[in-house]
Amino acid sequence: MEANLIWLGGAVLEAVLLFRGWKAGLLSRYKFFYAYVAWVLLTQSLGFWFYKHNPSSYLTLYWDTQLVTVAASYAVCVEIFKSALRHSPGVARDAQKLLLVVFVAALSYAASDFFHRGFSSVARAAADLGAYLSYVEALLLLLMLWLFGRYRISFGRNLLGLTLGYSLWVGIDVVILVLLFLPGNGASVGLRRLAPLVFLITLMIWCASLWSSQPEPLPPAESAIDRDYALLAAKTRAALAHLSARVGRTLRP
Amino acid sequence: MSGLVSIVLLGTLILIFSGRLLVQWSRRSHAQVVTIEDYSQAREALDSVFVETAAIKRIFANEDMEFISQAGTGDVQRFFLKERKRLAIQWVRMTQKQVAHLMDLHLKLASYTYEPSPRSEGRLTVNHVCFILASNGVSVFLWLFGPFKAVRIVAYTVRAAEYFCSEFRLRLEKIDPVKLGSARQPRSL
Repeated sequence: MEANLIWLGGAVLEAVLLFRGWKAGLLSRYKFFYAYVAWVLLTQSLGFWFYKHNPSSYLTLYWDTQLVTVAASYAVCVEIFKSALRHSPGVARDAQKLLLVVFVAALSYAASDFFHRGFSSVARAAADLGAYLSYVEALLLLLMLWLFGRYRISFGRNLLGLTLGYSLWVGIDVVILVLLFLPGNGASVGLRRLAPLVFLITLMIWCASLWSSQPEPLPPAESAIDRDYALLAAKTRAALAHLSARVGRTLRP
Repeated sequence: MSGLVSIVLLGTLILIFSGRLLVQWSRRSHAQVVTIEDYSQAREALDSVFVETAAIKRIFANEDMEFISQAGTGDVQRFFLKERKRLAIQWVRMTQKQVAHLMDLHLKLASYTYEPSPRSEGRLTVNHVCFILASNGVSVFLWLFGPFKAVRIVAYTVRAAEYFCSEFRLRLEKIDPVKLGSARQPRSL
């Protein structure tokens, strides 16, 4: 009963999110995100139907669709990255290289571990692969959040809500996943109930922040001096060198 | 087990960083785009911390302490030490605040630029972190021992700060003046 209520609540929120996205004209701005939500709604509805009418196929369906869900989640990650850094072309270019290197390195490590461990069934292999991809995604998200914080990237209300909800979901989901994969924890009822609850909270955050279209931060005014990194860096260095000289003069005994 | 710890740490850091993003957004929700004028003002503010160089130098002057030790009573000495300690800590905090503000504007402006240098940014970050650690260390020593006993440690910090800033001087020398000159002209695409 409780699980049904959580499922129903999630499905209603997803439908509301899609409807509001369409009404507010946000579907085209965050198309990968809304495609992800639509996909989750579809798989959850199918999963519920299978769970009720054909329980033996439910797990296979779940893990098979989970891989596509993770891939769609990566697309959301890319969308957040592109939207957040669209006024910061230099940072975006460098960050893209960094994220690509981390992605390839993490994926290679995960793939070697995956093949080294072997797998007993296709469903298990899909589950393992989904988990590994989620860990890599979490690592990329962490790097992105660090970059956004470091360069004080300005967010509009819509994008901020999208990013916060996504971070909450990915951050807690990887912890739940790793705990579920611990020997003896696979059947933990508490952990299995926690994930839908967190997703429900995430959907609430998304609904609240994406209810209507909010203005995005203004792009910086075109100015050569603002955009010339060499000059800016020179000015900062000069300021700090000046500071050093002053501190030295003041404090030297 | 190490895998479990690293994933839990990863999840926790994601939540912390997203919380930081929310805090940054709430602080800057009405802020306008940063311009080079804001940056220049921040530099001037940093300079103003050192305007009264002689007065600041006096906070750490051993001669004053020696004079008070010889001429003043116990109460006067305690009051003198308390005041000097308060002034010294205030001065360090003010400097930290101005440097943090300058770095904040630098990073924001760097995010607008077309060609930031990751190496230069990385070095700047390391040096800034060193500065924060050293200046916080100075604050702790000032609070524990007062400005006069802490002066040796301060001298060490000064050397660290000089090293930190020498990086900037070196980089400054390497910058092509022609490129600097062209920055004042409208950028042609």
